[in-house]
Amino acid sequence: MRVRFWGVRGSIPMPGPTTNRYGGNTSCVEVRPASGDPIIIDAGTGLRRLGKELAAGVFGDGGGTAHVLISHTHWDHIQGLPFFAPLYRAGNQVHVYARQRENQHLRTVFATQTDAPYFPVPLDALQASLEFRGLVEGEAFTIGAAQVRCTRLNHPWVAMAYRVDVDGAGVVYASDTAPFSDVLLEHDFIKTPPVVGAPLAPDGERQLQRMRASLVEMCRGADLLIYDTQFTPEEYRQRPHWGHSTPDDALAIARDAGVPRLCLYHHAPARTDDQLDAVLEACRAGVRAAGTGIEVLAAYEGLELVLGEDAP
Amino acid sequence: MKIRFWGVRGSIPSPGPDTNRYGGNTSCVSVRAADGTLVILDMGTGLMHLGNELLAGEFGAGRGHATILLSHSHWDHIQGLGFFAPVFVGGNAFALWGRAGAPGRLEVALEGQMNPNYSPLYTLRNLGATFTVHELEVERTVEVGPLRIRAHANPHGNTTALAFRIEEDGRALVYASDVGYPEGGPSAACVAFYRGAHTLIHDTTYTPADQVARRARGFSSYEDAAAAAVTAGVGRLAMFHYDQDYGDADVDALRDACRAALDARGGAGIELVAAAEGLELEI
Repeated sequence: MRVRFWGVRGSIPMPGPTTNRYGGNTSCVEVRPASGDPIIIDAGTGLRRLGKELAAGVFGDGGGTAHVLISHTHWDHIQGLPFFAPLYRAGNQVHVYARQRENQHLRTVFATQTDAPYFPVPLDALQASLEFRGLVEGEAFTIGAAQVRCTRLNHPWVAMAYRVDVDGAGVVYASDTAPFSDVLLEHDFIKTPPVVGAPLAPDGERQLQRMRASLVEMCRGADLLIYDTQFTPEEYRQRPHWGHSTPDDALAIARDAGVPRLCLYHHAPARTDDQLDAVLEACRAGVRAAGTGIEVLAAYEGLELVLGEDAP
Repeated sequence: MKIRFWGVRGSIPSPGPDTNRYGGNTSCVSVRAADGTLVILDMGTGLMHLGNELLAGEFGAGRGHATILLSHSHWDHIQGLGFFAPVFVGGNAFALWGRAGAPGRLEVALEGQMNPNYSPLYTLRNLGATFTVHELEVERTVEVGPLRIRAHANPHGNTTALAFRIEEDGRALVYASDVGYPEGGPSAACVAFYRGAHTLIHDTTYTPADQVARRARGFSSYEDAAAAAVTAGVGRLAMFHYDQDYGDADVDALRDACRAALDARGGAGIELVAAAEGLELEI
């Protein structure tokens, strides 16, 4: 399989000269099996350029099918969908997968994004066929030859991590999530930052432990882990309730699951290219000191990784 | 008045090396009156960068207040609000003026933006600053400090977007983003609204060729902007709201073509600037 990064930024797009190398578009990763339809994880602004590339191929003739796995519906993960060119060509089929809502149809959640007064083209006016499928955590399903699994993460309003296995390789996408230690993030708004390191209610602690164990279990045997590392440790201490992790949190998951390769992802909007170089270097130094042998990369727009049977 | 551009892009932010010079952030312009009164035009992603600068002054201490004029509530004009640092500082106060079809609908739209499905903020009530939403009646003058402000509803695809006229000491700035005129060009009322402006910030999303292919979307070409500027007899035209697919070289070409269009229409005396992030203009 081929894994390509189209948007690596968190929260909000960040144009400008300080993000030219890593890129300023929000979350979007393409997982392309050796044969079969493209699988896209998240629909941030990076999706726009992927859509243009797809429209130059079979999607330009209305003969394409794409599958879009949505981690969660915060804006930085769905903003690109109305700018996805294949949706504007009759005959194309786009399947969107996201966590099933308790009291709302998934289509309604996405339709609001493009309804008046937010956008000029409502979902019902799109030429392509657009279908939504609700997922529950722990669910497993297939997309062509690919096996897909999901488990929940620790993020406000709940996010899903995905694992895709195809062509003899497995990739896990885990964004966005806080570490599973200081606060349980679900549906309540948390106004005051919790104190990092303070004891939790036993029930919350058990839930977080279960959540982490399920994620580690899902990562076991994967070749690549793409992980939300938006925060520095200091930023995390200030905002543990925002639902993001540090590189050390990501390394701990990779280590516990035995994943050989970690990709830092969902970079903070204000983090400059030079600062990201330093984050990556510090993370690699930590790995050398710990002797775990994990290979660490920092995602950038245009990064392409070939895994499994196609691997060089 | 001092004007500064914080976001000049239309539809969706367009990061990348080919937008470094003009910028990839969506619509946001700040206007400062001589006495410091602050008016913000639209809340695209450029608003985040304005907010970071404002924190260094009274807004960092919770003593800032500003008026926000919202042309319409399409995403590229409201996305910056949740990332505007001064709204999280208690004591600051923002009065937003705009309209969205029916009374009360604008506040619902802004509230919907913060809905937990889309934003970790959940609701406007979680902003630390005072943030009030007001319905702006078109063609009626509102006074904000020394500024006299009036709005006009322009056609924008299947909806309308407000243009704003801001006057201080008899000199006027007009902001007209997101406007797609009918075949015959701007209405007489619209031309009267722009008439004699010192500076007209006008939608120039497209080349005429791209505009023809996308007319239903409700944006202007540089030809439309040049025609409006000449007809209304403005002193300076500032090109604004560039298509997300245009790189810096494309915008350079757009500017040169707009200059030629002004000259050809008898507007050789009109100053032309292509708005870019960080550009400051004085009126």
